[in-house]
Amino acid sequence: MENTVIDAHNISKTYDPTGIPVPAIRNVHLHIAKGEFVALVGPSGSGKTTLLNMIGGLDHPDSGNIIVNGTDITALRSADLVKFRLHNIGFVFQAFNLIPVLTASENAEFIMLLQKEKKAKRAERINGLFKQVGLLDKKNTRPAQLSGGQQQRVAVVRALASKPQFVLADEPTANLDSAAAFNLLDIMAALNREENMTFIFSTHDQRVIERAKRVITLVDGQIVSDSTKLPL
Amino acid sequence: MIIRLAWRNIWRNKMRSMVIIASVTAGLFAGMSIMSLYKGMMKSRIRTVIDTETGHIQLHAKGFMGDQDPKRYVQEDGNKIIKLLKDKSIRAIAQRTITAGMVSTPNGSSGVSIIGISPEEEMRVSGLGKKMRQGKMTWPSTTRGMLMGKKLAKKLKLTVGEKVVITMTDTADNLISAAFRIQGIYQSANAPLDEVNVYVSRKELQEMLGLENQVHEIAIVLHDDRLLDSTTQWLAMEFPTLAVEPWKALSPETSLMAETVDTLSYIILVIILVALSFGIMNTMMMSILERRHEIGMMMALGMGRLPLLVLIMTETFFLTIAGIPIALVTGRTAIQYYAKKGMDLSGMGREMMESFGFETMIYPDFPSDKIAFIIALVFATALVSSVVPILKSLSMNPVSALQK
Repeated sequence: MENTVIDAHNISKTYDPTGIPVPAIRNVHLHIAKGEFVALVGPSGSGKTTLLNMIGGLDHPDSGNIIVNGTDITALRSADLVKFRLHNIGFVFQAFNLIPVLTASENAEFIMLLQKEKKAKRAERINGLFKQVGLLDKKNTRPAQLSGGQQQRVAVVRALASKPQFVLADEPTANLDSAAAFNLLDIMAALNREENMTFIFSTHDQRVIERAKRVITLVDGQIVSDSTKLPL
Repeated sequence: MIIRLAWRNIWRNKMRSMVIIASVTAGLFAGMSIMSLYKGMMKSRIRTVIDTETGHIQLHAKGFMGDQDPKRYVQEDGNKIIKLLKDKSIRAIAQRTITAGMVSTPNGSSGVSIIGISPEEEMRVSGLGKKMRQGKMTWPSTTRGMLMGKKLAKKLKLTVGEKVVITMTDTADNLISAAFRIQGIYQSANAPLDEVNVYVSRKELQEMLGLENQVHEIAIVLHDDRLLDSTTQWLAMEFPTLAVEPWKALSPETSLMAETVDTLSYIILVIILVALSFGIMNTMMMSILERRHEIGMMMALGMGRLPLLVLIMTETFFLTIAGIPIALVTGRTAIQYYAKKGMDLSGMGREMMESFGFETMIYPDFPSDKIAFIIALVFATALVSSVVPILKSLSMNPVSALQK
């Protein structure tokens, strides 16, 4: 399909940390198109994070392949996979994971520096994104001086700064209060709507699930339901 | 950004970084102090050799230094020698008649090197007069006077005014003896030489050996140490029949000691830095393990191995080299203070130091010529210290590093 971003074919992953094989993902097929706003849901241990890690090129499936934007990432060498992630995938983590010694804008700029973007381009992009998430006045503040919601918005700016094909967010609202969570979801929904940015969340959070356009439910490493909400 | 991030990272745990920086500073300070002390000691030793023992250059008949045969005297035209030695590079000369002999007293005897000198010349070349502890350096021409080292005088239980008998072989191979009176007792910084060198009037010794005005040794002192090589070459060309030897050849043990001490000071510095490298490595490992989550995140975002390597290495370098300027400033200040005031090491074993020919008052000399090498060593320490932390961070898997 022309606007396909992620195409996972029959992927499986088994962990064997104690000598007893534990299947995390079993024969999953997944297709995500450009501009989707997807929630991966399911109970703890259902394989949400594992699936997200494999889609994000952080983990390798034992079998099957994952095509991201036309590239089979399961066939990439480690160094190429790092480059691929840098230019194609944005990450938002549950624990924000901002670098505490850098300011908000330096954190967001970090990934663009790795991409070797020019200073003027970096400044333009970062300022625009900070404006979009309502943190322009906080961009020179260090993470410790920001609230959890503000930190997660900075993490979203960082994820989007590299102009990725899609953003993977692992439990992005888990550490946020309701107001901050709704604010973050509003921002991500607006970016999805206005910039056609693809978002894929793993979540338990009902607030996220309610805002998602598509909800994929995983149980014991298998997709048990995949429902797309019709626009109102 | 990597440099900014590295710099800020080392200040995350200020106390820990300060301890490491203080350790590097203290280690470098200690290393430089030892180097300065050694350099000062060797400089003093070399100064002693040149100023009081050998002079800069000596001329001998070829083969004389091997057997000290009194027949091997300098056969050059005296006028030519005097004329040439008026060269502007030469500050002073002393002509000596030398032979091996035996000093005997009722208390015992000892093998000695009998050196016939002119007190005036010797004062300018070896400063023998300044070393007198008892009696006087000058003696009436009619009296057979002798200057004896304190160590030998002690060994033979002699004091000023007492008589000794010296026995030697003259140039006709006759065994001759003569009585001398102890005119003075000297003490130099080189105890072994004090035990073997006795000084008498050159004229008297020449008469006893059956020589006229011939000498066995011409010691030369230059205006400047830097003229040594050029003057040695020039004299060797002017006097091809003589052995022209610089102090390094006359006192090879001093030259060898200078090289050995130089190497030793480097070894000590390397040992200090190796010990420090373990501390630096440990600090970096702690820092990396504490930031495991963050490093996993950076790898997940797309930070490759090279930027990560550069980041860890830069942090290690900052941590290591931050101590250099502090160590240089404090080290230089302290060393300059002692370079003026001197360090009295007599309490550490005067006799031992003197037996090795060292003065007990040492004036440390800052090793300016070695600063580049010291800094290079510190950089090498940083490089070595960063290897394990780099390997540790590069071996991290972003998925497991991101897990709580």
